[in-house]
Amino acid sequence: MSEAGGIAVVGARALRKEYGRDAGLVRAVDGVDLDVAAGETLAVMGPSGCGKSTLLHLLGGLDRPTSGELWLAGQRIDQLGERALARLRREAVGFVFQAFHLMDELTAAENVELPALLAGVPPRKARRRATGLLEQVGLADRAGFLPSALSGGQRQRVAVARALANEPLVVLADEPTGNLDSEATLDVLRLFDSLHTAGQTLVIVTHDARIAATADRLISMRDGAFIDQTLLTGGSAGNLGSLAGLEG
Amino acid sequence: MQQEVVLALLAKEPSHGYELRTRLRQALGPVGDAMNAGQIYVTLTRLEKAGLVTSEPSAGGADRPDRKVYALTPAGQQRVAGWLTEVSWPKPDLAEFHLKLVAAAAAGLADPIAIVDTQRRELLRRLRDAQRAALSEPARSVAGLLLEGIVLRLQADLRWLEACERTWTTRRDDHE
Amino acid sequence: MGRVLLSRTVLVGRLAGRDLRYRPAQAAALLLVIAAATATLTLGLALHGVTSQPYQRTRAATNGPDVVAYLPVMHRPGHGSSPPAQAAAALTQAAGVTGHSGPYPLVGAVLRARGAAAPAQAEGRSQAPAPVDQPKLTAGRWVRPGGVVIERTFAGALGVGVGDRITLNGRPFTVAGIAVTAASPPYPNLCYTSGGGCHASPPDQGQHSVATSIGLIWITAPEAGRLATAADPVTSYVLNLKLSDPARAGAFARRYDAATPGRHPFGPVSVTAWPGIAAADGLLVQDEQSVLSPGAWLACLLAVASVAVLAGGRMAERTRRVGLLKAVGSTPGLVAAVLLAENLILALAAAAAGLLAGWLAAPLITNPGAGLVGSPGAPSLTLPAAGLVVAVALAVALAATFVPAVRAARTSTVSALADAARPPRRRARLIALSARLPVPLLLGLRLTARRPRRAVLTAASVAITATGVVAVLTFHATAGQKAFGGSGGLANPVYDRDEQMLAVLTIVLVTLAVLNVIVTAWATVLDARHSAALARALGATPQQVSAGVSAAQVLPALPGALLGIPLGIGLFAAASGAGTRVLAIPPAWWLAAAVLGTLAAVAGLAAIPARIGGRRPAAAILQSELA
Repeated sequence: MSEAGGIAVVGARALRKEYGRDAGLVRAVDGVDLDVAAGETLAVMGPSGCGKSTLLHLLGGLDRPTSGELWLAGQRIDQLGERALARLRREAVGFVFQAFHLMDELTAAENVELPALLAGVPPRKARRRATGLLEQVGLADRAGFLPSALSGGQRQRVAVARALANEPLVVLADEPTGNLDSEATLDVLRLFDSLHTAGQTLVIVTHDARIAATADRLISMRDGAFIDQTLLTGGSAGNLGSLAGLEG
Repeated sequence: MQQEVVLALLAKEPSHGYELRTRLRQALGPVGDAMNAGQIYVTLTRLEKAGLVTSEPSAGGADRPDRKVYALTPAGQQRVAGWLTEVSWPKPDLAEFHLKLVAAAAAGLADPIAIVDTQRRELLRRLRDAQRAALSEPARSVAGLLLEGIVLRLQADLRWLEACERTWTTRRDDHE
Repeated sequence: MGRVLLSRTVLVGRLAGRDLRYRPAQAAALLLVIAAATATLTLGLALHGVTSQPYQRTRAATNGPDVVAYLPVMHRPGHGSSPPAQAAAALTQAAGVTGHSGPYPLVGAVLRARGAAAPAQAEGRSQAPAPVDQPKLTAGRWVRPGGVVIERTFAGALGVGVGDRITLNGRPFTVAGIAVTAASPPYPNLCYTSGGGCHASPPDQGQHSVATSIGLIWITAPEAGRLATAADPVTSYVLNLKLSDPARAGAFARRYDAATPGRHPFGPVSVTAWPGIAAADGLLVQDEQSVLSPGAWLACLLAVASVAVLAGGRMAERTRRVGLLKAVGSTPGLVAAVLLAENLILALAAAAAGLLAGWLAAPLITNPGAGLVGSPGAPSLTLPAAGLVVAVALAVALAATFVPAVRAARTSTVSALADAARPPRRRARLIALSARLPVPLLLGLRLTARRPRRAVLTAASVAITATGVVAVLTFHATAGQKAFGGSGGLANPVYDRDEQMLAVLTIVLVTLAVLNVIVTAWATVLDARHSAALARALGATPQQVSAGVSAAQVLPALPGALLGIPLGIGLFAAASGAGTRVLAIPPAWWLAAAVLGTLAAVAGLAAIPARIGGRRPAAAILQSELA
């Protein structure tokens, strides 16, 4: 399942993640090969328990694979120590979670600048960058609000802004609209679309087809392995009118 | 084009043919772009024959259908009123696809899972197009609403296709 | 490099400060616990300073003697009693003597005050101050005709103060003042009388001696002479000597003491050196320290247990925060730094609060009115002592950071984000057993079984508290049994002092124990809020649930309280040392009352967080678990 042409930002070879032993052995990720090109938006879909979230955690350095190779920007990352992984997480990867995972006691702006401060960016510069990112996601007027004062969709947009704080190579999103209502989902959808247009590499795990439809490529996963790939660029456009029930 | 829709468009006031078409396209947005131009005039003619609308040539005097002025007859008004209170919903059309899968599996002609996958791909592409169009509409536009409906329907259909894939895969695994 | 450090410092400071502000209750709990521990430590150190060197302080304040000689009385018919002039002259002019006061007459008398009678020894003094051993007044004024000065501890035992009327051998006097001296141990002197002198230590075998409790008073010399009767003559004369080299006092005393074998040119003279007096003094001081040290240890242990519960407990969302920080790119070191910063801030604030509280409380205990042995000096907090307290607080902060930090480094980021606590242990048999019990016990047993380590901590804390309580009860039982040498109906100041100290320590212990129970119960409530909400949603009443939480504390408290009985008795036996007292086991109903009282207190206290936690509607809790 490799993508010819384009420099691979993220790569995996024979990636495996297992839990438990003997009778209780669970193969969450079972021999995955993957390449994500720069600027590409990749969607991974599958039923719950298929291992797509685990795969994303592995790609983002949140968890270690049992075996296999993981590459990020040409560097092998599956054997890195905890400190190096931490650096990876703040400089190369931006993560967006289903549960947002904002720090409740920090304002939106402080949440967004957190990775920058961790990376050693001077506080004022970090704040400027955070304000700019909040503008980008349309929440400039909520910069000083605590997460408890924000709606779910707004919180997720803050989380996306946070993921972008250090200009990561790839943004990984794990069911980003899982906890959102339809209106908030649309907002996030628009945001991901604009990110895609801006050339950001995205890997999105979702079971919402609408999110998946924003991607260039869609991979279906089941029982820890890839089973299908769909290219969404090109192909038949179809008659919108007929979709709506208008006799053509 | 459903007859009642055209009737309803005339309910406010008598209109020219081209006015009707314009209003229709406004309401449908991008979905209406591909609509056949002459479709509406065919419908108007049928309605006239059925006695639900009347037509008059416009001041210009030409007999072109888009220049005629159409108006509702009392019968037409009644029809519209009735239509508005009707509670019906577009029929889903799943049976055909479902039977396609069953037949393919029974006859061994094709792999039902492959059929499902192909259909899924197609629907995903359509979903992508519809969603693109929906996102480029301004927020809360009426036309955008229609597009959102298309998107949501496609999403629902895709969900069903995922279920189909799961079930047919399980059946295959059980048989093996 | 500096830029990185700056940003990270800003970040650490912000995260720590913000978290403290956002979750003030938890911060307050940790602060309270550490403050209680530091206050106890401060109190102990302040008192230690006071009680550890009472003799030295008194000696410095009164210009105490290096050597005290008791000279026999010469009776000359017609001339009354007088000191042996030769002996006195020889001693005052001996090599190494730089100063002296006396000889002063010592007369035995029966002192009656407030309806009680006690044997006293009256020392005849001049109204002018003496060069050596001028007793330091802690109240009132020096002797005058009709006015006596009573040694402080004796006055405390008698219950008299300045201005009270007393009689000596039937003659009326007024209490002019109260003072302390370094020339003899305070009341009750273990006064081994032999050869007309009062020795601090028992003489060698062969010499007959009687131990009596004698109280010391000072009166004017002429009145001392008038006090002497045929029945109670002047017993001896006391001569205070100051040496050029105090270290040689022992050798000096032995040379001249009549008890030493060899020639005694001056007759039966008893000479005591200051180390002997200090040692006698020390016996009493040892008493206090034997109470203070174990008490302070118990308090510290309790504080440690509380901190362990707080630090190790899954207090709201700390796990999730750690996971979040790691996911965003913090190293485990930074996570630990944030934790450490929070704990340090709290510990320093607690140390300051504890120091202040302890410093304010110390004078209340060493108040002369409390009859504590001590010098006229007020208890002071030396800089090294304060430094020790701060160091202990910082050590506690470090320890409280250690376990969560290690856990944070070990836990995978993913499971930390999911806020997956250490999954509770499942004990199938306990679950089956509890199914047969009434609802509160059912809930309580299961809650206890979920977190065995916390149950052990609870049992330990209750055991520590019970140990303290039982030790106090044993003290009272022992004190009730044994009278201390012939003091008649007087209060025994040794036991009074010990009693007061024990009371103070018991209060501190109980306070810490209360804090510990509340904190542990709160941790249980938080840990079990999902199960409790579920139980309520399935039909348990809030009362049943809060009773269950109480039961979860009481169940481990029971073995702890029972364990405290032998431990408390053993502690008292160990602390009181060998020999001086016979141990009396407290009566059974005292012990039963102590155990039941402890359990009832635990149940009641645990109900408080349970009740508060139960106010939140079950639906809200169950829903928030999904997010």
